[in-house]
Amino acid sequence: MALSTHTTSTGYLLPSIHSAPPFFTQQPNPTTLSIATEQWIRLILGYARHRKLFFLRVEDAETPGNDWDEVLRNERINRKLLPTYLSYILDTMVKKNLAAYEPPKQTRAVLLHWRLPEEWAEALHEWATSTGQLNSILTFYDITDPPLESSLTGIPIPLLRKAIAILAKTNRAQIITIADGEGVRFFTGNK
Amino acid sequence: MHRLTGPGLSAFDRHTQSQRSYALLSNQLSEKQIKNLHSQLSSFRTALTSFAVTHRDRIQRDPAFRHQFQQMCASIGVDPLAGPRRGGWWAELVGMGDWAYELGVQIVDVCVSTRERNGGMIEMGELIRVISKLRGLDKEKEKDKIGFGGGGEITEEDIVRSIKTLEPLGAGYQVVDIGGRKFVRSVVKELDQDQAAILALARAQSGRVMEEDLVSQHGWTRERARVALENMLLRDGMCWVDAQDPNGSAYWVPSAMRWD
Repeated sequence: MALSTHTTSTGYLLPSIHSAPPFFTQQPNPTTLSIATEQWIRLILGYARHRKLFFLRVEDAETPGNDWDEVLRNERINRKLLPTYLSYILDTMVKKNLAAYEPPKQTRAVLLHWRLPEEWAEALHEWATSTGQLNSILTFYDITDPPLESSLTGIPIPLLRKAIAILAKTNRAQIITIADGEGVRFFTGNK
Repeated sequence: MHRLTGPGLSAFDRHTQSQRSYALLSNQLSEKQIKNLHSQLSSFRTALTSFAVTHRDRIQRDPAFRHQFQQMCASIGVDPLAGPRRGGWWAELVGMGDWAYELGVQIVDVCVSTRERNGGMIEMGELIRVISKLRGLDKEKEKDKIGFGGGGEITEEDIVRSIKTLEPLGAGYQVVDIGGRKFVRSVVKELDQDQAAILALARAQSGRVMEEDLVSQHGWTRERARVALENMLLRDGMCWVDAQDPNGSAYWVPSAMRWD
């Protein structure tokens, strides 16, 4: 049996290691484990970017029928990522700032940083500038669900808050309390 | 006025004609000289070669003698260390060439950088492939330009020879034969008989080995099989475990798996 790459039904190219049966087991040797985990992290972030997925939960490995089936399972060799191992991978990702527990104070679900919050902040500011919305007050909804789809469409609110907080540090954004909740105002500013 | 250098247009013709003859003569002379030099050089080579062959052992063993030999080479403008590998003379005959050392460094580089992936065992073909990539084509062209042995590609023989030159360093690099395939081992620890048997079996089964296989095919006790496999897994990191195999724990040896 040769191990080969595989293109999923959503058009994502899985690496050949994904067809190696032991890849789905948490390795007892620490060196081997760190190599395997590194591969998993790369795979998870790559797939999340491909499908614009923001959340990964331990449950996704427990029960089938979710967005992550193609990655967490390999039907062709009848293997699936075990939940305990997934939870270890999530922990490693959080330690490396490649993900954050969301909501905080639990360890079952993470918000994936397939773009770092700093990168999201830049993208956000660029979007506000290019759509001519500097200085006007926007609701979060205006950003996550704009009339014209943008790279920020569907961005989770916690991530959006992080990005705004980063911009606020350089005086390029400001959170404003408005009648029905919160809004944000962007300024030109310089980096 | 002298006839030969006299005025008139014909003087120009005469002039070019004599220049041409001079040029021809000089060409002939230098050709003869080069030929002479070549034959001298080749007889010198033969002499030096036979000298190197006769005194090979002493050159290798006796530092003082080696030093003198090197000085002799240096005084006649020959660097015994700037050794080519094929068509080369003394460096090869004496068994010390920069080429082999350089290749040695690359072997170490590849073995060390892939060690955590393959547990210190790399298949010969794979090693050659990675090193060839590492060396690139340009470097080889450069070598050809300065007249070193051409060809370019690295052979198994080169690797074996180069690993021999690494021996004095005590790094423990070794070429081992497992189930008819050559591997380069870069782990310092001895590969014991049991591990060799497991690797051979892994090769035959595309990388997957189970306790049961060792019991049925090698007549080992279950204990022995388990200890050997667990050692490879935990102590040496030479294999991965698969806990989801329907027949129990399966051990996978990455260096024996076929990757596309």
